[in-house]
Amino acid sequence: LTVPRRPLTFAVVMPRRRLFLKYVVVFVGLVSGALLASGAVEIYFSYRESTAALVALQREKAAAAAMQIEAFVREIERQIGWTTQPQVVTAPGAIEQRRVDFLRLQRQVPPITELTYLDGGGKEQLRVSRLAMDVAGSGADYSGDPRFREASGGRTYFGPVYFRKESEPYMSIAMPQSGGKGVVVAEVNLKFIWDVVSRITIGKAGHAYVVDSTGVLVAHPDISLVLQKTTMTSLPQVGAALAGGEPVTMARDLRDRRVLTAHAMIPSLRWHVFAEQPLQEAFASLRASIERSIVLIMLGVLASVMASMLLARRMVQPIRALQEGAAKIGAGELGHRLRLKTGDEIEVLAEQFNRMTEQLRDSYATLEQRVEERTRDLRESLEQQTSTSEILRAINSSLVDIQPVFDAIARSAVRLTDAAFGGVTRYDGQLIHLVSGEKLPPGLERLFPVEPRGLLRRMLEERRIVQSADVRLDPRAEYRDMAAAMGYRTLAAVPMLREGVAIGGVVVLRTDERAFSDKHLALLRTFADQAVIAIENVRLFAEIQQKSRELEAANQHKSAFLANMSHELRTPLNAILGYTELIRDGIYGEVPEKIGEILERVDKSGRHLLGLINDVLDLSKIEAGHLRLALDDFSIKEVAHGVFASVEALAAERHLGLGLDVAPDVGLVHGDERRITQVLLNLVGNAIKFTPAGEVRIEVRQVDGLVRVAVIDSGPGIAAEDHERIFREFEQADTSSTRTKGGTGLGLSIARRIVELHGGRIGVESEPGHGSTFWFTLPLRAA
Amino acid sequence: MAQRILVVEDQEDNRRIMRDLLTSAGFEVLEALDGEAGVALAARERPALVLMDIQLPGIDGYEATRRIKSDAALRGIPVIVVTSYALSGDDRKAFAAGCDAYVAKPFSPRALLAKIRELLA
Repeated sequence: LTVPRRPLTFAVVMPRRRLFLKYVVVFVGLVSGALLASGAVEIYFSYRESTAALVALQREKAAAAAMQIEAFVREIERQIGWTTQPQVVTAPGAIEQRRVDFLRLQRQVPPITELTYLDGGGKEQLRVSRLAMDVAGSGADYSGDPRFREASGGRTYFGPVYFRKESEPYMSIAMPQSGGKGVVVAEVNLKFIWDVVSRITIGKAGHAYVVDSTGVLVAHPDISLVLQKTTMTSLPQVGAALAGGEPVTMARDLRDRRVLTAHAMIPSLRWHVFAEQPLQEAFASLRASIERSIVLIMLGVLASVMASMLLARRMVQPIRALQEGAAKIGAGELGHRLRLKTGDEIEVLAEQFNRMTEQLRDSYATLEQRVEERTRDLRESLEQQTSTSEILRAINSSLVDIQPVFDAIARSAVRLTDAAFGGVTRYDGQLIHLVSGEKLPPGLERLFPVEPRGLLRRMLEERRIVQSADVRLDPRAEYRDMAAAMGYRTLAAVPMLREGVAIGGVVVLRTDERAFSDKHLALLRTFADQAVIAIENVRLFAEIQQKSRELEAANQHKSAFLANMSHELRTPLNAILGYTELIRDGIYGEVPEKIGEILERVDKSGRHLLGLINDVLDLSKIEAGHLRLALDDFSIKEVAHGVFASVEALAAERHLGLGLDVAPDVGLVHGDERRITQVLLNLVGNAIKFTPAGEVRIEVRQVDGLVRVAVIDSGPGIAAEDHERIFREFEQADTSSTRTKGGTGLGLSIARRIVELHGGRIGVESEPGHGSTFWFTLPLRAA
Repeated sequence: MAQRILVVEDQEDNRRIMRDLLTSAGFEVLEALDGEAGVALAARERPALVLMDIQLPGIDGYEATRRIKSDAALRGIPVIVVTSYALSGDDRKAFAAGCDAYVAKPFSPRALLAKIRELLA
């Protein structure tokens, strides 16, 4: 027997590599996260630093340019200042002197291309130009000109930048004559500023430019932009500088390039010098360094992935081994042991697992053992049951012959009690007979019949089970020598008890010294009981058979007697009736009226007696099975008409209506016409007899393949509890009516038997006070 | 000359009743007490009709009837079988034996007379 091993429920069903993946993801996440974070921080700071450095550099360049420009303007201002010293002389000499001064100034300071002197009233007194003829005393009025207005206020005026010959930048500088005696206006070529600005280079694409206080471009490497008087205020860095706000370091230039920007102010002019470099260029080196960093980080991440995979594998492997081992154990391999030498908790866990498996195997082993035991028990009890039922079947099927039962018992007793041989014995009061032996040695068999002695005698006398563990040594035993000779040791004898008397016993023997268990003894007791039952059955059956044979004979005697008797009774009765009729017919001479009446009564009584005798004879013949039906097809309609005609006179005599109703579709009936006539006549006769007034009707119908004949009367009716009884012999609804109404009380009983012999049914529907309907059915002629 | 009717009947009373009935009706009555005697008497006397009881000592009425009917010389004599109460196909047996009519006991003398007259007509 094997115990079915279902896989235990903890068998792993989760994805195999999940733990591994989890470890890898965690490791990689940690390492690359750290790398990325440090890389990002480093990049951020180096960006910040290099931005600051670049901006500082640009600011320096811008500041240097601003200083150069400032110095240039201051120099011009100083030079002009020399010409604005108060003139001692006036009139023609003064003008001339001024013209000389102007010419000298123009020589000394090349950017000054034109000098104009305006008197205190704003009138042009002198103009010295490199480009035009000198003009003296033109008297042109400049009093409304901002140059005059601003300068006459006592401070130097710097005019807006303008262009000559479409490409030369110029600016007016007006200085007041000390003592408020006019204004000197100088037109200054600003080419110098352009040169300064153009010289400034920042990297390859970087450049500087200058805007005035209103944001208009004053100097730029791209001159066309300057000539177009481009306003730069839309650029945030310019706007912020003009507004004096926080300097903007990162912005866009006119070409919408992202630039790094710095500026410096030229205080005297309130101009601003901007130094700008495209970010792309400025950060080129920074980007290269970032790219290097990223590559390094990537390499780091890659290394960490590989390292973490290695690590994860090392961590997961024991767990996997654990899992696989558990799965094997779960699948029933209880002999499997986990071998893990990781030296950590997993090894401890594996050890515990092994211990658990050990226990599981132990409990399985116990379970298997228990199941085996239980199965053995079950098999034994099944065998016992099979044997018991086999014996019962033998008992049932051998009511006459009991030998098969004894054989079955002997066979089962020896086999199921694990005996070497045995048998069933019967005790007739003097001798013990062997009725069935199973594997008995011939020597032992020949011993029977035997007088009861020793152990068997004890069993018979004490009427209880006798067991001897070793017959050879048992002082109670009689045949110790035989036991030694036949080789049996252990004996068990179970008495067969009928009403407390031992009538035999079931005996089993073992060749080894091994006592029969209580279970075996109980089984033997069952077999002994069954043997008794079988014996009883056979005896009772024989008795019953004898009795029934006697009964049958008696019954036949009765029937024969009744038949005889009725014949014997009828013969004299026939004579009585015959003579009576002859007398009444006047064969023997005239009969006085009074005697005639008496003769009529004699006749009537005689006929009643005859009817009784006939009915008894009928019944006895039916009971004896001597009634044979003369079967033929006949017309039930004709029968009904015949009966109707024969009772018509009787009904009229009793003043009863008589009806006949035969359905036209009623077919031929298969049966004994005369007997059916007898039945119907009986029913109609009864109806007429028991109906004091009203009518009696015969109704013939065909219903469900049967002919149904009904006799319906308006008589007193019959209580429901009497419906069955009246069809029994010698029963009438009212026992007193036999006397008053005549009739034997056998008519309905005979009618029932006749109808039933035809395969029909008979019955009554009636209620007291509502008349009765007696009916019977008959099978139609076979089609 | 009166017609002769043979009554085969072992019962004294029945014989008497028949005799009285038939004599009063103007017939001459021959009587036999058993079947063999009846058949012999019929052969010798050639009656106009035979009334045959069934239950007779010796051969029964059926056998006697069969013998009469199997005799070519006697075949023409009508035989009325008189049975005791008929139940199990006595009539069939009677007709099978060759009788011409069948009367069940207890017979009504009047009805019997009618039947005899019918057969002799």
